[in-house]
Amino acid sequence: MSAISSATTAAPTEVERPETHDNPVAERPWLVIVWNDPINLMSYVTYVFQKLFGYSRAKAHKLMLDVHYKGRAVVSSGAKERAELDVARLHQHGLWATMEHSE
Amino acid sequence: MNFRRRIRPAREGGYEIRLGTAERDLLEDLPLQLVSLLGDVGDKPPAELPESIRRLLPPAYTTDPDAERSFVSMTRDDLLEHHRESLETMSATAKATWLDDDQLSAWLAALNDLRLALGSMMGASEDETEPEAAESHPAEWIAYLYLGSLQTELIDVLEGTLPDPIPGADDLVPEDRWGEPPGGLRWDGTPQPEGQ
Repeated sequence: MSAISSATTAAPTEVERPETHDNPVAERPWLVIVWNDPINLMSYVTYVFQKLFGYSRAKAHKLMLDVHYKGRAVVSSGAKERAELDVARLHQHGLWATMEHSE
Repeated sequence: MNFRRRIRPAREGGYEIRLGTAERDLLEDLPLQLVSLLGDVGDKPPAELPESIRRLLPPAYTTDPDAERSFVSMTRDDLLEHHRESLETMSATAKATWLDDDQLSAWLAALNDLRLALGSMMGASEDETEPEAAESHPAEWIAYLYLGSLQTELIDVLEGTLPDPIPGADDLVPEDRWGEPPGGLRWDGTPQPEGQ
């Protein structure tokens, strides 16, 4: 991402680890993934995550940093139709989003 | 430095826009050039689209061509229409001194679309240095940087208008199951930037 706006440091968020189950295929959620690109502004990506998903600023900022530093981040998950809708909305906002079935 | 905000909330609602004539001319003209390029898209496969346009129509499924074809047939028209509407709104209101919320949202989308198109066309990278193509496209490179500064200002204003977060929404995001990518690279294979 372009760094016209400088990033501030977000506090690390503690996420509780869900127990793993052997889910049948149909129950496995789809993951919506946003990929890094060199053009979208960091502040814009954070703004879009807040606007589209109702995330807190801290969460949106953390997801943006994951996209920026790791190259990709899961930003939402759910049934196929829900994931397709999220991907379509992210595309409308110019973000590079794809979806895949979780393993 | 005498820095004057170009976009600010108006007392009566909406937003005051204070831009010079040259800026407004650019914001009127550039979007229409992109609208014209979008008019040639139709249902062409990505490989046949110019770089600048391809970035505005990214794939959803990268490993399942059938699913991707179905996704494109469901979403392509809406996506093109969304790009077109935003660009046409910015062009039509480029001379306005006041914008309502919807018009300002359209400006944000249009500025982003223009930067994506220009940046992709020139091969812009993250470090803000001039790409090689900037030499052959100096006007486009300056426009790209200008649009970025205006978009940054616009985001500053719009951040203040976001509704409260949805309670519990943060907790629905799956944890990062991949951890750290190896070897100082990102998952997409590009070098990891320094600083985290």
